[in-house]
Amino acid sequence: MAEQFEPRIVAFLCKWCSSAGSDLAGVSRMQYPPNVLPITVMCSGSVSPLYIFDAFNKGADGVLVSGCHPGDCHYIKGNYYARRRIALVKKLLEFMGMEPERFQMSWVSAAEGTKYTQIINDFVEVLKPLGPQNKLRRNL
Amino acid sequence: MVNVEDLRKEAKRILKEGKVKYVIGYERGEKGLMAKPAFIKDPDDVDRLIWDPTCVHNLTKFLVDEKRRKAAEKKPDERPVGIVVKGCDSRAIVVLLQEKFIGREDIHILGVSCEKNGVIDEKKLAKKLKGKTAEKIELDETGNFIVTTEGGTTKIDPEDILAERCLECQANYPVIYDLLLGDKSKKKIDKPYKSLEKMESLTEKEKWEFWTEQLSKCIRCYACRSACPMCYCDECVVDTIHFANRRHHSRRKSRQDKMGGEIPRSI
Amino acid sequence: MKKKTGVFICHCGINIAGTVDVKKVAEKLAKHPGVDFAEDYVYMCSDPGQNLIIESIKEKKLDNVVVACCSPTLHETTFRNAAKAAGINNFQCEIANIREQCSWVHRDMAKATEKATKITKSAVEKVRQNESLEPISIPVTRRAMVIGGGIAGIQTALDIANSGYEVILVERNPSIGGHMIQLSETFPTLDCSQCILTPKMVEVSKHPKIKLMTYSEVQEISGYVGNFKVKILKKPTYVDPDKCTLCDECVRVCPVVMSNEFDLGLTGRKAIYIPFPQAIPATYTLDIQGCPGLLPIACGKCADVCEPEAIDYDMKPEIVEEEVGTIVIATGYDLYEKENFSEYGFGKYADVLDGLQFERLLSASGPTQGKILRPSDHKEPKEVVFIQCAGSRDPELHCAYCSKICCMYTAKHAMLYKHHVPDGQAYIFYIDIRSGGKGYEEFVQRAVEEDGVVYLRGKVSKVFEDKGKLKVWGVDTLTGKDIEIDADMVVLATAIRPSQGAAELAKKLKIAMDKDGFLAEAHPKLRPVESVTSGMFLAGAAQAPKDIPEVVAQASGAAAKAIAILSQDRLFHSPQVAKVTLNLCTGCGMCVEVCPYDALSLKDGKVEVNEVLCEGCGTCQATCLRAAINVKNTTPSQVHEMIRASLGG
Repeated sequence: MAEQFEPRIVAFLCKWCSSAGSDLAGVSRMQYPPNVLPITVMCSGSVSPLYIFDAFNKGADGVLVSGCHPGDCHYIKGNYYARRRIALVKKLLEFMGMEPERFQMSWVSAAEGTKYTQIINDFVEVLKPLGPQNKLRRNL
Repeated sequence: MVNVEDLRKEAKRILKEGKVKYVIGYERGEKGLMAKPAFIKDPDDVDRLIWDPTCVHNLTKFLVDEKRRKAAEKKPDERPVGIVVKGCDSRAIVVLLQEKFIGREDIHILGVSCEKNGVIDEKKLAKKLKGKTAEKIELDETGNFIVTTEGGTTKIDPEDILAERCLECQANYPVIYDLLLGDKSKKKIDKPYKSLEKMESLTEKEKWEFWTEQLSKCIRCYACRSACPMCYCDECVVDTIHFANRRHHSRRKSRQDKMGGEIPRSI
Repeated sequence: MKKKTGVFICHCGINIAGTVDVKKVAEKLAKHPGVDFAEDYVYMCSDPGQNLIIESIKEKKLDNVVVACCSPTLHETTFRNAAKAAGINNFQCEIANIREQCSWVHRDMAKATEKATKITKSAVEKVRQNESLEPISIPVTRRAMVIGGGIAGIQTALDIANSGYEVILVERNPSIGGHMIQLSETFPTLDCSQCILTPKMVEVSKHPKIKLMTYSEVQEISGYVGNFKVKILKKPTYVDPDKCTLCDECVRVCPVVMSNEFDLGLTGRKAIYIPFPQAIPATYTLDIQGCPGLLPIACGKCADVCEPEAIDYDMKPEIVEEEVGTIVIATGYDLYEKENFSEYGFGKYADVLDGLQFERLLSASGPTQGKILRPSDHKEPKEVVFIQCAGSRDPELHCAYCSKICCMYTAKHAMLYKHHVPDGQAYIFYIDIRSGGKGYEEFVQRAVEEDGVVYLRGKVSKVFEDKGKLKVWGVDTLTGKDIEIDADMVVLATAIRPSQGAAELAKKLKIAMDKDGFLAEAHPKLRPVESVTSGMFLAGAAQAPKDIPEVVAQASGAAAKAIAILSQDRLFHSPQVAKVTLNLCTGCGMCVEVCPYDALSLKDGKVEVNEVLCEGCGTCQATCLRAAINVKNTTPSQVHEMIRASLGG
């Protein structure tokens, strides 16, 4: 019986909203699959497109970038720049023929533990049928 | 119509008056057909300057070299440089200005308009001539190309030998200039960005295969980096260790191994 | 020298150890390159747990440590202090969150353990590239500036001055007092406004710690929290306040009559004038806009009759430079102009007034000595219509927001009208009645029950002049009937807008405004008196429409925030700020544009970081095409190693 494919997700969470939302999910003992590895950054606006590509290069099957809701960025407008950059990255991935479902952006506030749990659960389900990401994987 | 004499006159004037250090333009190439970049210092040399559809190169790159040269000199000549630009080239200048790489006062722009034409694609011309070598190429009044070979002259429709990008160009006149030769005439394109339609109609799989194939041709010669005016970083991202740190391949790691220990990071 | 990392895995009782095999994690980490020491313990945050860290650092000569435990929001400071106590820099300690983001959200022990290992390795990679940092210390100029001399500015200035710090109070009008001094009585007590405000104004004028600069405007601001440099333009009043005896002779002889802004155009004043008798500073002012001219002297009559020789035509505008540590902005409000209402006559009808104008009519020192008279023919109006929400709560045509105070002051106006004209009839057209403050609901009921004010729920569609009366077409939605009133006077409760010129000042100060032009607070719930710019605070209606008790409370709040800064010799700022690698920077300026705090600037073709303003968000880092700017301790180099560790590499 072949082992079921477990996708590996790298999630860039902004410290002030999304990471706090993820913490809240923990405090509330919500359950989600362990496929996601969180990396806390100061602001979603500091997530460079190179981080996303690097994650795919190093074998991530899915990448999530999560920040504060528009208008609520702790650093005023970092998430607006994040939104624009991520939109471009998404378009680039589509243009080159990478499955766009592998890359997601979300807005999770510090109060949205439930939302975070849902996002991870859904993301894992979406990635399972896609199988391992081989297009951008490099041996580095 | 662009009169090349006007271009030569202006170049002579700014050189004679000492307004510019030298003028970057186009002159006839060694093989006799395609133009090559010219650097004219002497006002009496301006007759070397030409303007015709063989002037393919984007001369803006030489502005980057000029800046590097100036930075290395102890007492640099602060005068601007004259440069001949087409519509497409002028946009490169705009980006360099926006990125504050050069100042507007560093350049004297001699803009030439392609006037509903453009530059030719050498490979397309060779195909069209079926083995015959072209010696000269000119535009006639009706806008057709007259190509002179050893067998005589042929008239060729521009659509057949213009570069692909010129076929879709909608604004073939410079957007920034100190002097403009030719009209600001827009070419009418029925369907702009037609070439993109095909790309966007491909499926995900077809797209991936297309790009894998295209990128497999790359031999990492970095000629693209040498030609592109926007490539002016002192340390290129493909060489740098400041972006993605490839621990196993970086220069740092090999130095570390040689020195037998960790080198303190100063990033 | 290879850096030695120590790793401490916390059990957190069974919170972590119940789902994560902590011993296994410690085993795996001990084998990770660079990790010299890895141990688990039941409660790392306890005293013995912290001592374990301290002792291990000292004994094993560790360079940095990772504590794998609960969320950093709980104990990062605890463990960083322990690191410091052990003799290493506190930034050489990182937290790996293996509880909230691992053990509490997963059940499969094998998988949770694997994930905890990866998270901890990721933190190890981060800490190994951390720089040792010391908090940035900046000196503080222990003086404050308050811009705006209304009740908000006055209260803030008094609170700061009473704490022992010098305050510069800048007001652009010749006198402080703002709009509150124009009011007749204030709700819900019907206190005489001038009676309660003038003592505070006098206190300001006499306070040894308050430097009052009236008829002055802020021109330019530079600097940052603790170290602001402000340029103020002192306009010439042409009257020496120390010599002026308030005899009023100059007014008698002045040939020029101008619109009196204190009475909102209902009366005139002379070019030389005192805005109101209780003006602070107590002096007259010559308005150069109205004066026939001083170069050469066209008139000169006022100087001729001035016995104390207080009038000085040679006064020049002065630019004064002040250095302060904090600034409080209390620029107040203005009313939405009647000219905006096509339905109410474009402001052309003399007997259609706004709230402040009616207030002046009510005032005993006003244009009609407190008698309610029509501006057009000076007859007493017997039917007065008050229209609430004129311009507020109207997203399509005017302002979307509620101006908060109009329900209360309209009730007050109607009551006072009835007190003055007992046989008159007052109608109030309203949408809702918002009377949430202390004693407010009872006040509105008084208007209805004791003073017979008629409340009609509905909007007024049109007001127009007809045979000397003002026809008012409205509706009473509770009965469903159209209402037509032949009014003698109409009072519009127009929307509260930010003060004229507030937008220009906000640009100079580089503080943000919200979508309606009011000054933006740092957080609407928890930081209502702070602006986004460090060291600048907000007080009063400049931030949002509010009534006097709220203004006073907020003013004291802003003063407390200002005092918190001023009370310190030096301020400490987080050192996790941006740093520029100069040889990689090409001066394109893209990072300068995106910085939310204006902390970056171009100097000699390279970018310079103002470490005090930088908050370490990293937006510049992600924008830079050349990796020339990085935020200390969250560099791309670190993130790339964290990505590798997270994926098991």
